[in-house]
Amino acid sequence: MVTVTRRGYVGLPVERTDAIEKVQGKARYVGDVRRPNMWYGAIVRSPVSHGFVEGLERDPHFDWSGVVLVTPDDIPGSNVVESLVRDMPFLAAKEVRYRGEPVALVAAPTREAAHAAAAAVKPRIRRVPALTEPDEVVRVFKAGGELEYLWSQEIRKGDAEQGLREARIVVEREYRTGYAEQLYIEPQGMIAVPQEDGGVLVEGSMQCPYYVQPELCALLNLPPEKVRVRQTVVGGGFGGKEEFPSLLAGYCALLALKSGRAVKIVFDREEDILFTTKRHPSWVRHRTGLTREGRITGWRVDFLLIGGAYATLSPVVLARGIIHAAIGYRCDDVVVQGRVVRTNMPPSGAFRGFGAPQAFWALESHVDELAEACGMRPDEFRLRNIYRGGDTTTTGQRVPEQYGGPAVLRKALELSRFGARYAHCSRGRTMSDRWYGIGLAYFCHGAGFTGDGEARIRARAAVELARGPEGGPAVVIRASSTEMGQGAQTVLRQIVADALAVPIDRVRYPLPDTALVPDSGPTVASRTTMVVGAVLYDAAVAMKKALQRFVSRNFFDGEGCVLEEGTFSSETGRSLDFTRAALDYLRTTGVQQRFEAVFSLPPGTQWDQERFRGDAYPDYSWACYVAEVEVERATLAIGPIKITAVLDIGRVVNPVLAEGQVQGGLVQGIGYALMEKVGVAEGLFEAARMQTYIVPGALDIPEIRVTFVECPYPYSATGAKGLGELPLNGAAPAVGNALKHAVGRRIHDLPVTPEKLFRAIERKGDAP
Amino acid sequence: MNGEPARENAPAEDWIRRTWLVNGREVSLRVPPLRRVLDILREELGLTGAKEGCGEGECGACTVLVDDQPVCACLLVAAQLPNRSRILTIEGLSAMEEGRILEEAYVEAGAVQCGFCIPGMVMASYALLRRNSAPTERQIREALAGNICRCTGYVKIVEAVGRAAERMGRAAAGR
Repeated sequence: MVTVTRRGYVGLPVERTDAIEKVQGKARYVGDVRRPNMWYGAIVRSPVSHGFVEGLERDPHFDWSGVVLVTPDDIPGSNVVESLVRDMPFLAAKEVRYRGEPVALVAAPTREAAHAAAAAVKPRIRRVPALTEPDEVVRVFKAGGELEYLWSQEIRKGDAEQGLREARIVVEREYRTGYAEQLYIEPQGMIAVPQEDGGVLVEGSMQCPYYVQPELCALLNLPPEKVRVRQTVVGGGFGGKEEFPSLLAGYCALLALKSGRAVKIVFDREEDILFTTKRHPSWVRHRTGLTREGRITGWRVDFLLIGGAYATLSPVVLARGIIHAAIGYRCDDVVVQGRVVRTNMPPSGAFRGFGAPQAFWALESHVDELAEACGMRPDEFRLRNIYRGGDTTTTGQRVPEQYGGPAVLRKALELSRFGARYAHCSRGRTMSDRWYGIGLAYFCHGAGFTGDGEARIRARAAVELARGPEGGPAVVIRASSTEMGQGAQTVLRQIVADALAVPIDRVRYPLPDTALVPDSGPTVASRTTMVVGAVLYDAAVAMKKALQRFVSRNFFDGEGCVLEEGTFSSETGRSLDFTRAALDYLRTTGVQQRFEAVFSLPPGTQWDQERFRGDAYPDYSWACYVAEVEVERATLAIGPIKITAVLDIGRVVNPVLAEGQVQGGLVQGIGYALMEKVGVAEGLFEAARMQTYIVPGALDIPEIRVTFVECPYPYSATGAKGLGELPLNGAAPAVGNALKHAVGRRIHDLPVTPEKLFRAIERKGDAP
Repeated sequence: MNGEPARENAPAEDWIRRTWLVNGREVSLRVPPLRRVLDILREELGLTGAKEGCGEGECGACTVLVDDQPVCACLLVAAQLPNRSRILTIEGLSAMEEGRILEEAYVEAGAVQCGFCIPGMVMASYALLRRNSAPTERQIREALAGNICRCTGYVKIVEAVGRAAERMGRAAAGR
């Protein structure tokens, strides 16, 4: 037997870098930061959902001394958010497209004064008709009525219509999801500080410093060297702090430059929920043809997202949504038609999963219905139809011979004893007090940016050799990836420590500052560990080689050497400690030494953006959840009791952090499945407080068993794939399928509530 | 939607004087009677460990102990706290042995992610362990039901509190 000893930190439960300062209350979030002579900003918002601005009236009875007002006329640069589609203004100057859209800004010495001043500015707006309700959008769409689309995209493989004609059974169903709120516990916040050179420093809660920085340059008409963006400790993002912080940073910067003072805006919870991004509501229709033996002959998916007033990130949310809409199962003839509808609501945006949770709610509910339609069990149907090596996805990406899908599916079925327990489902037929059901969801998440995203952004990251705070040598990570709770600081340190073969306490990872770090891309898309980790590994290896050459030349008379576990060892057995060598290197070269690397996609990667064909992602992470639920027969109260989760995220860099990501994402998914709901009334989100937007608490959590199956990414030294979003994707359909088998009724729109179950039982049928 | 409740616009002559024991130290202040205790802690006393997540007592991120009872500092105004009230915040708890044990357990269990809820969570944990040194898992979940965490799914937090309880029990037995 061969014993493999694993050296290094990757694979070990290294304690979090940032845990101790957080647990002691010492971590400085933006709300904790105060600047000298700091003022507070507030936003003047449109009172109507759609209209044309005819003027801004200032209340003459209000004391305007000591208040700074910014209107669109004060914007020195371009009043448009660059993003992907240049359609959203920072401040609406002519047309307002949603209720609450910013039209002007104020700053004053106190928060109270700023809010009073904002309330004293009355926008005069000529109202025109507005479209706000998701239900109305779906009704119009199904009736073939007129809607404005922010984006459309189709995926076509083979001939879906022909495939459907050849089917013996055709199943057509519609699936719905509503708005959902990220509900990071730290609200959005930003501070802008004017600089002596006419530039600005912006610090705050954000996922993507290099989204904010170029937006500010364009808005303020400043060159990049005069705009510095720095991350403060982030109290959760989940996508909510991906694109929105660019707006808030812009507002603070405009006020700071006009007032000549530091200006801070930290939202209260109500403003945060009402006027920041939500998960796109969706309507998805699957029409699927089957043979009698339960093979899929043809597949048509219509995928509709509700985008709100501006496109912002909707094109890429849609891309991820349609790629995941019919993924995982063999079928040669598929068409997926995706559209994003424009409405008069705040722009929908990034939220963990980014289109995939909507896709999998529909897909994995539907696959259960396909199994039922051909008289098969849900596990049998999936085992028969999942991809085999050499198959292609809907975009034509080849599935490798070895991939994680079959392994996670089999393992989850085995660990949960699905087959045996499935026979015990109540199906709403037993007279016991509690109905029992078990259900599964099989799903994945493309790791990294969609399509040519990674090729275009060319993520860069660096490591520097410098003197640490205590005088010894430090390896400093320079990357724009942000720590927002997911553990990036810790896992990237583990990866760099391993690449260099030095003790991890020598590796530092300060919060990103655009003055100091290269653009590693945004901290989104489950890409940090996989993509930025791979880049940092390469950068660290370059540093290691340079150090080895230096030691070889200066200490070992030209004899070759290797750095292992913090020690340089020569071929003849001479050795030198890393600390000594690194300090000498710094003294000799006289400056900090920086080693930078760039991400490259797997060799042969091809993507056709026009036709949406090719390798949609560098790789995929796969998972299977088996959910077990109980429903109280008298009240229909729903209790998830156990989730068996099996995931392939490639090499697991830190098992404790990875498990924490799964538990947390899964619980967010349970919230999405059972309780989180934002209605729309008069153009505003109805659940505007934590009292009305209910998320899971400590008493709502089932037993969660997490198991990892490692199928490493073959094109990087770390082997890590994406993790962050995957755990949310499958929770809702697993729970929904379990509920179907408990109650005997299927609910097609999220969240599944006792009220919906009651109506379905009354109607003696599944609910739409 | 731009309206903020005017919390603190009381004329100066209506301000009240209060003397409290904050983390064991006597603190005297003159404040508007409706100023929230959370703002006093964070802004006047520089104790920023208690966080504001919702401002309406739902999230528990501002949990502090007042006379040993866990309360949301965002729901409490100065006038409600009589003189000699004892306030314990995360900064005070950190300096205590029980605090050190709890913090260590949180870190080891991997119970911290974004960390914004954590000071409040630790305060609620401490309040539980003060009155029940050997809680069941169910009792831990009940004690933390008023503290929302969006990152962890609570699993490791519950583990951390269980771990801390064991260690405090051992520490007490060894004394």
